Amino acid sequence: MALSCMRCSAGAGNGAGSVRRGAPPAALSLVRCGLRGPAAAVGCRVAAAATAAAAKAVKGAMDAGVENAVRSVAPSKVENGSPSEITVDDFEDLISLSENDESTVTITVVGASGDLAKKKIFPALFALYYEDCLPKHFTIFGYARSKMTDTELRNMVSRTLTCRIDKRENCNEKMEEFLKRCFYHSGQYDSEEHFRDLDKKLKQHEGSRVSNRLFYLSIPPNIFLDVVKCASISASSVNGWTRVIVEKPFGRDSDSSAALTRGLKQYLLEDQIFRIDHYLGKELVENLSVLRFSNLVFEPLWSRQYIRNVQLIFSEDFGTEGRGGYFDRYGIIRDIMQNHLLQILAIFAMETPISLEAEDIRNEKVKVLRSMKPLQLEDVVIGQYKSHTKGGTTYPAYTDDKTVPKNSLTPTFAAAALFINNARWDGVPFLMKAGKALHTKGAEIRVQFRHVPGILYKRSFGTDLDTSTNELVIHVQPDEAIYLKINNKIPGLGMRLDRSKLNLHYAARYSKEIPDAYERLLLDAIEGERRLFIRSDELDAAWELFTPLLKELEEKRIAPELYPYGSRGPVGAHYLAAKYNVRWGDLTTEHKA
Amino acid sequence: MAATGLRFRPGTVFPSHAANPSTQPYHHCSPQRMHAAKGRCRLKAQSSNGRPQISASSFRDVVIDGRQSEDGAPEQGGATVSITVVGASGDLAKKKIFPALFALFYEDCLPEHFTVFGYARSKMSDEELRNMISLTLTCRIDQRENCSDKMEQFLKRCFYQSGQYNSEEGFSELDRKLREKEAGKLPNRLFYLSIPPNIFVDVVRSASRTASSSSGWTRFIVEKPFGRDSESSGELTRSLKKYLDEEQIFRIDHYLGKELVENLSVLRFSNLVFEPLWSRNYIRNVQLIFSEDFGTEGRGGYFDNYGIIRDIMQNHLLQILALFAMETPVSLAAEDIRNEKVKVLRSMRKLRLDDVVVGQYKGHSKGGKSYPAYVDDPTVPSGSITPTFAAAAVFIDNARWDGVPFLMKAGKALHTRRAEIRVQFRRVPGNLYRRNIGADLDKATNELVLRVQPDEAIYLKINNKVPGLGMRLDSSELNLLYSERYRREIPDAYERLLLDAMEGERRLFIRSDELDAAWAIFTPVLRELEERRVAPELYPYGSRGPVGAHYLAANYNVRWGDISSDT
Repeated sequence: MALSCMRCSAGAGNGAGSVRRGAPPAALSLVRCGLRGPAAAVGCRVAAAATAAAAKAVKGAMDAGVENAVRSVAPSKVENGSPSEITVDDFEDLISLSENDESTVTITVVGASGDLAKKKIFPALFALYYEDCLPKHFTIFGYARSKMTDTELRNMVSRTLTCRIDKRENCNEKMEEFLKRCFYHSGQYDSEEHFRDLDKKLKQHEGSRVSNRLFYLSIPPNIFLDVVKCASISASSVNGWTRVIVEKPFGRDSDSSAALTRGLKQYLLEDQIFRIDHYLGKELVENLSVLRFSNLVFEPLWSRQYIRNVQLIFSEDFGTEGRGGYFDRYGIIRDIMQNHLLQILAIFAMETPISLEAEDIRNEKVKVLRSMKPLQLEDVVIGQYKSHTKGGTTYPAYTDDKTVPKNSLTPTFAAAALFINNARWDGVPFLMKAGKALHTKGAEIRVQFRHVPGILYKRSFGTDLDTSTNELVIHVQPDEAIYLKINNKIPGLGMRLDRSKLNLHYAARYSKEIPDAYERLLLDAIEGERRLFIRSDELDAAWELFTPLLKELEEKRIAPELYPYGSRGPVGAHYLAAKYNVRWGDLTTEHKA
Repeated sequence: MAATGLRFRPGTVFPSHAANPSTQPYHHCSPQRMHAAKGRCRLKAQSSNGRPQISASSFRDVVIDGRQSEDGAPEQGGATVSITVVGASGDLAKKKIFPALFALFYEDCLPEHFTVFGYARSKMSDEELRNMISLTLTCRIDQRENCSDKMEQFLKRCFYQSGQYNSEEGFSELDRKLREKEAGKLPNRLFYLSIPPNIFVDVVRSASRTASSSSGWTRFIVEKPFGRDSESSGELTRSLKKYLDEEQIFRIDHYLGKELVENLSVLRFSNLVFEPLWSRNYIRNVQLIFSEDFGTEGRGGYFDNYGIIRDIMQNHLLQILALFAMETPVSLAAEDIRNEKVKVLRSMRKLRLDDVVVGQYKGHSKGGKSYPAYVDDPTVPSGSITPTFAAAAVFIDNARWDGVPFLMKAGKALHTRRAEIRVQFRRVPGNLYRRNIGADLDKATNELVLRVQPDEAIYLKINNKVPGLGMRLDSSELNLLYSERYRREIPDAYERLLLDAMEGERRLFIRSDELDAAWAIFTPVLRELEERRVAPELYPYGSRGPVGAHYLAANYNVRWGDISSDT
């Protein structure tokens, strides 16, 4: 992990391979969340006092000098394994160091006038600010080609800012303060000169503090390299860290992805690259590891011995709606499966990591990905939505979208069966399904367990024991929930069984709003927490699974199965599942129960 | 016993069908429907040794899909059943037995021909009995239609016979009246002994000699106390067996009729996610907790003779424990389940005095109100050292449970009323999140809670990430609250047990060898408590019980789950 600027500027060239350096991320997240140690379970979200301290400490952590301090404390924590001692000392260290207030962080959103920037990045930054999670000294810069004044940018940004529902006080004041720290710089994406101008402005704001710089590339992939080149050459921090957040697509296949990585690495070290997969920032995806590794009742079941299949399901209830230009070049497999669903799969299936440290987790994820067989064509079903009229409304076909070529074969739906050839998962089908313009929207993980061997209640279940097995469902979005379907006796004099849920419904249990994935990921990037970002070798392994298939689909010009807009997707997905003796959990019993 | 139930005798009940089933017209409850029907109307094939051949086929068969046939009352052709409540004027009869019978009638669970008789010493007319009963009958909240009609019909089938409990004359008079009502049908007779234990044997002798069914079955339901210790219990069993076969004796433990106790086996044996965890490998301890929030309230006479250990622990809690801990039975048949329960009980160590804490509530004033001590009860001797509270640690020395403490706790006049089973799991070995949990990893373990009463629920406490940017964990619940999931009223335990007795389903009744094994565990410590006159630790009325219970738990590194984190 890279807690501080030292790593980047000192040219720690070991890259991804160097796993065990530095302080464990836990130390960091400890800081982030304030006094969240064993003694006082107060998060920064909860107690304002703790929050302020946390913010300070974050800053402290960014001081160049901190690294040694943290490093010297951290290993002993991990090794003696006794959590009670760690927090206080460590925490005080960080606070005392932070009192210098010597560092600042600048977040430059490259492509500031784009949709993602407006809808997600600026609001997430504001939310972090609102929650006192940003360092005391910070500056936000928008960078794009269009001419705009600072005020115009502020006006644009201010339209999408909102405060958390549960604590609206001071909302306007906070917005004002936040907007005052936002600036704009216009320039070409491939001009070193324009970035040098940016650098000058940044220096003005940074003053004499240690400067840390985060660039968020909210731009099309074809100009990634231009921007990285110019920014790293002419706008890198001289005495702090410089990090770059990039978002998918990371290429179209193994080759182009590798070329991109090589390109980035000409200018950046591995530790400077933060590849975002915003699904990894989702609350329930984060919680997946907590569920597995902090509950005794789940881990013993987490293998081929008990799990019959795992389903990763993503669906949207709308199509490309006039914005299919980008999508058509990639298709649903590249857009959703190869990244979001595969990442969730890796976290789901990985072995227990040595620690929660980023490198340890990513090492385990890479192992899972490398244990997987590349996808076979016969294990994939692709579909494309066609137009459909329902209740007087006509919904367009994918190819009706003006930005999509008439004869496009790009899949808007895909289902795939994947297998992990390791001791834990041999033979267990992992089924993925992703589609646009379906009847529902949501993302969920379904774990179907095997049937009870020699079940005493077989008369109750009929001949197909697999219809009444346990199922663990993790509802990632919307309406976050975790539930375990169990067989239960229906109260009454008879002995009738039904499937009931042991349910944890987030809205009922947790009254707070759940932060957007981008908030988490931005904060992580600022803090240098790499756990939720994708390392180069992970990305390579992910592409290796999908590239042969993608090539084959394109070379053979495989026609997608058409399905009506708003339907449950092509029937081929059911055949695929049936081939592996699986029923899609989202389409069967669910809504009865 | 004759091994034949209401519906166990196709030859008698449906002579023609049995003789030539395939040619007979379809009958509502005919053998042909036995396997097809999902409803409650069902024949049960049973062999002469009293063991059902088809395990789960009580007439309420196991159905998963909710399609219960609505075909109403099973027609019994030529059979009838008479239920005689001996001790009809008593409290239990009025509060539980008659209402349960009515509920069964209301739900069409009783055979078409049935008669209810009250028997007691007091002189009463049929009409007086009916008036008395009608005061306590209620209809289910969710289906109130025809309530008074149904009550009328039910009351018409209720009769009264007065007589002495030890008088064969009284019972032959009853027999005569029963014959009248049975009117030539195949008579099955069920006697419910709702009387003090000292006259059990008298009644059984008189009734079995003079009022047994000549051609159908005759069964006796008896309720605790079954003796005071191994010897007296053995003596009672021997006496009963002079007049009855084992199959005729239905020892009721009404806790076994509770919905969640019934569900315990379903949870374990029909869910893959639980059984792998059900052993010393994963379970740290099991807690069986019973508490009442009131004392004896002027009715301590009976209680003082027995005490909480005999009244609750040796039977209710121990039975739940046995069901919880038993190995997977061969089938759901009564004998298979009871065999497994006996094995658990016989694997248990005898309870030692060191592993028991006894308590007795004392007077307490709170908010201007003053609550009496146990010994303030006028029906209790003033120097009584009878425990009204007890906690015990018991151990099962078998491969599955070696070293796992099973903690029991039962008490009166505590701060809450509840019965629950708590399963505390071990901590996660090598927990990655140990920094979030703190020094005491046992505080953040999983816990499965089955709340038997009130407000039935099952929940599993899991560690979960508190939503937010930080990484805070909390203990959340995967929850199944019955009142939210299931709209219907949950039937009273007595309904289930009465129906089971009529159907000859013995799963929830206690066999003689089970009873012996249960007493063998508790008798030595009960004797020692009495011989040494161990004084109970006093605790205030309405409190959480004596502190000794915590020390006992701490001895085995356990925290009582009901008192720590949640409610």
